[in-house]
Amino acid sequence: MVKGLSRVVSWLQVAPVALILILFFGLPMLVVAAVSFFDYGQGRLYPAFIFDNYVEVFSSSVTLRLYLSSLKFALIVWAVTLFIGFNVAYFLVFHVRTVLWQIGLFLLCTVPFWTSNIIRMISWIPFLGRNGIFNETFMGLGIVSHPMEFLLFSDFAVVVAYVHLFTLFMVVPIFNSMARIDRSLIEAAYDAGAGRWRILTEVILPLSKTGIALGSIFVITLVMGDFFVVKVMSGGQSASVVSALSNEISAIQYPPAAANALILVVIVTLMVSGILRLVDVRKELTG
Amino acid sequence: MRQTMAGPRPWTFYVFASFFALFVLFLYGPMTVIYILSFQGPTGGLTFPMRGVSLRWFHALVAAERVGDIDGAFGRSLVLAMIVAVLTVVLSVSAGLAFRRRFAGSGLLFYLAIASLIMPGLFVGLGIAVGFQLLGLDINWYSSSLGAQLTWTLPYGLLIMFAVLGRFNRAYEEAATDLGATPWQRLREVVLPILMPGIIGVALFGFTLSYDEFPRTVLTAGTKNTLPLEIWAMTTNVTSPALFAVGTVTTIISFIAIGIALVSIAVIQRRRTRGTGERI
Amino acid sequence: MPSENGNGEIRIVNVTKRFGDMAAVQDLSLTIPDKGYCCLLGPSGCGKTTILRMIAGHETPTTGEILIGGEPVVGLSPVQRGTAMMFQSYALFPHRSVLDNVAFSLKLRGASKADRHKQARELLTKVRMERFADRLPAQLSGGQQQRVALARALITNPRVLLLDEPLSALDEYLRLRMRGELRRVQKELGITFIHVTHTQLEAIAVADLVVVMAQGRIEQAANAQEIFTAPRNAYVARFMGGQNVLSGTVDSVANGHAIIVDECGVSFSTAIAGEKPGLGSRLFGSIRRDRISVSKALGCTAASDKINSLVGEIHAIEYQGSYVKITIERSSGEEFVANIVDNEFFRDPLDIGDSVVARWSARDVLTLEGTADAKDASMGDAAGVLI
Repeated sequence: MVKGLSRVVSWLQVAPVALILILFFGLPMLVVAAVSFFDYGQGRLYPAFIFDNYVEVFSSSVTLRLYLSSLKFALIVWAVTLFIGFNVAYFLVFHVRTVLWQIGLFLLCTVPFWTSNIIRMISWIPFLGRNGIFNETFMGLGIVSHPMEFLLFSDFAVVVAYVHLFTLFMVVPIFNSMARIDRSLIEAAYDAGAGRWRILTEVILPLSKTGIALGSIFVITLVMGDFFVVKVMSGGQSASVVSALSNEISAIQYPPAAANALILVVIVTLMVSGILRLVDVRKELTG
Repeated sequence: MRQTMAGPRPWTFYVFASFFALFVLFLYGPMTVIYILSFQGPTGGLTFPMRGVSLRWFHALVAAERVGDIDGAFGRSLVLAMIVAVLTVVLSVSAGLAFRRRFAGSGLLFYLAIASLIMPGLFVGLGIAVGFQLLGLDINWYSSSLGAQLTWTLPYGLLIMFAVLGRFNRAYEEAATDLGATPWQRLREVVLPILMPGIIGVALFGFTLSYDEFPRTVLTAGTKNTLPLEIWAMTTNVTSPALFAVGTVTTIISFIAIGIALVSIAVIQRRRTRGTGERI
Repeated sequence: MPSENGNGEIRIVNVTKRFGDMAAVQDLSLTIPDKGYCCLLGPSGCGKTTILRMIAGHETPTTGEILIGGEPVVGLSPVQRGTAMMFQSYALFPHRSVLDNVAFSLKLRGASKADRHKQARELLTKVRMERFADRLPAQLSGGQQQRVALARALITNPRVLLLDEPLSALDEYLRLRMRGELRRVQKELGITFIHVTHTQLEAIAVADLVVVMAQGRIEQAANAQEIFTAPRNAYVARFMGGQNVLSGTVDSVANGHAIIVDECGVSFSTAIAGEKPGLGSRLFGSIRRDRISVSKALGCTAASDKINSLVGEIHAIEYQGSYVKITIERSSGEEFVANIVDNEFFRDPLDIGDSVVARWSARDVLTLEGTADAKDASMGDAAGVLI
């Protein structure tokens, strides 16, 4: 009897969150799915059940180009953020000695992520532009004679912006995983004669797997799902799946946008499950 | 690699430290450039050199000449962020407490929240916008955008509450019951005070995530913009350092919010381990 | 409202507690007298903490009754029962000062600040913690926290105080000191204490009633002396330490004694009270470790042709201050322990590896109940027994 009451209480406590998630996430996703089968024309939607939108997506060569472009960015950004994230986390966990410094430096890295993404993105423009800091300094130092054009409004700029925005999502999970490593394991390895490199590959890397997996999931989903960084930083030269999608939305072509969205979700879900199959992250989330 | 409390640092320390310093520079550098440029002189352009120092571009924001509806958007963003923060706290704490026990559908709800976290915001916004349209409702920054932003902040709030509650020692609650506390007294006198740092963290997440939110809001805000939407419009329209001035102002607000949260947490932690108690 | 120092007698009647398929407590019945100090003793998982929590009201029995002072209490809250609990981790509220911690229950009842602070200070004085009133729990040592936890529990004027492994978080020295404190406080207050522990010596030092438990059942409930000198069965004998357990089949019965022979040919005799055991039936006996004499085996009279003696090789010698603990390994591989008074040992010291003969007298052999060998108690050796 008491158990029944506590169950009701649990449901009541959880109801608001459940309600909001269902109303503003679950249902809208179903709406998107439904709309992907609609017909459209002249800015109006015609509820229907046709596959035309999907056929268009799959038969268009643009689709493949967009996906390749997005995947290319995702991969490059993943590699760079992994490298940076791992090293930063490693430094914070294993080279910083006092907890106070650890927390302080960690906060130092984290604070920029509390500010607007857009502002941080456009802050690169005066940096990388033709008359920007980078070029001015490099020209001033005599390293180059004319401004480097490729810095801005290019794939390079897109990658730089992504790395700037998303590296923290690698640092935090890896930091967490590393901080949980029992130090006595490292000492035992050291006692057994392992050098720094061996300790890294044999002890630290395997035990940070969950953090790396989580970070990878975050970064990949963020890059694949982004539309404004690519638009702005590539100056319209490059495209991503979602930025093309956002164009369709602006043109009030909702059904094809919805179809594109669904396909992207399926593909990203496959990628994420792939990662999850390699590494089990459930313990990390609930532990 | 040993973790010695004293003794010289290995050479790798300096490598890593320099790498870290470069990373911090990488993070803060461009933003600092913007802050400096926002004080650009009246005749200056979007990049260096600085032609004098002035507050001209800050004035331009409030004067609302040709820089859009900045103070309107600013006000809306602040109000929305505070509403979202409060709602996120109340709802996340409530749900977090429920998740301590198994209940039917807890797994489902958890995965729903994670899915909401990972789903690109644009799609959520699309779904809400079209949904509202099909229902014949208007989209507004205080209705559809509010709901959309909550789908972004609630999962974070939940995850934080999970982490905080996971470390919470149940014995405190049992001790309270043992001493005669009703469930409500338990919550008010023991659970919430002890969880306060975590709750402040949730509030901070709620505020900043809402304040800076863009993809979910861009399709659901309707006619009146929030600040990020306004900024986005400016990236295409405005060709003056006014944009940087906006960046500086909005960052200051973010820093204030972070500062308040961190200081509160620090004060609470300090009070719990205060003094130089001699241990006998 | 708790009855003001009313009857603190506890009666547990046929209580079973199941968690899913697992029964933590099985059909257990026990009566704890009012104003008594009772220790629930046993290894982890034996159900002692579950019983404590059921008496406290933090768990509900699956079946059975619990009565405190004659009133059934199942379904009542802890305060309504007149019980208070001291938690293993003390669970002092970290965000409240020591004074506020102690005054907590009064605050819940709406007492004024002045009132409850006054009462709290009185209680803190009783546990000699009054000068730490304004400190925070994080600033106190383990022993200090424990005293505050005690004061906090006592302010509700309980008729029963429940202590969940109160001494396990303390270091050895403090543990011994606090033992005496708890006993003193209990006598002073005149209420029932129920103290859960897995340390044998602790239990026999403080308790009037020792309840030895295993796997959800009571193996023996008696006063400390009886538990130690007259264990009921092999489990209790082994768990309490201080005894060697031998078992074998009955070879002959004569003159009120039975002679039992075990698999390796060692024979021991024990007095029989009551019905005679059948020849060939299995019998268990225990011999106190400090009632055994050990001497070097002479020549090759290897086979123990005498009753109440056995032969073996010394496996380990441990000096324990007032006595020396000798572990003899028998040919069967089993261990046989003798505690020899130090003077006696050093008169003619023995070495590891010596072949020795251990002897004891029949009247020191205790008959144990039970026909099955309860060897499963994996409690390890007790910390030695001081005579």
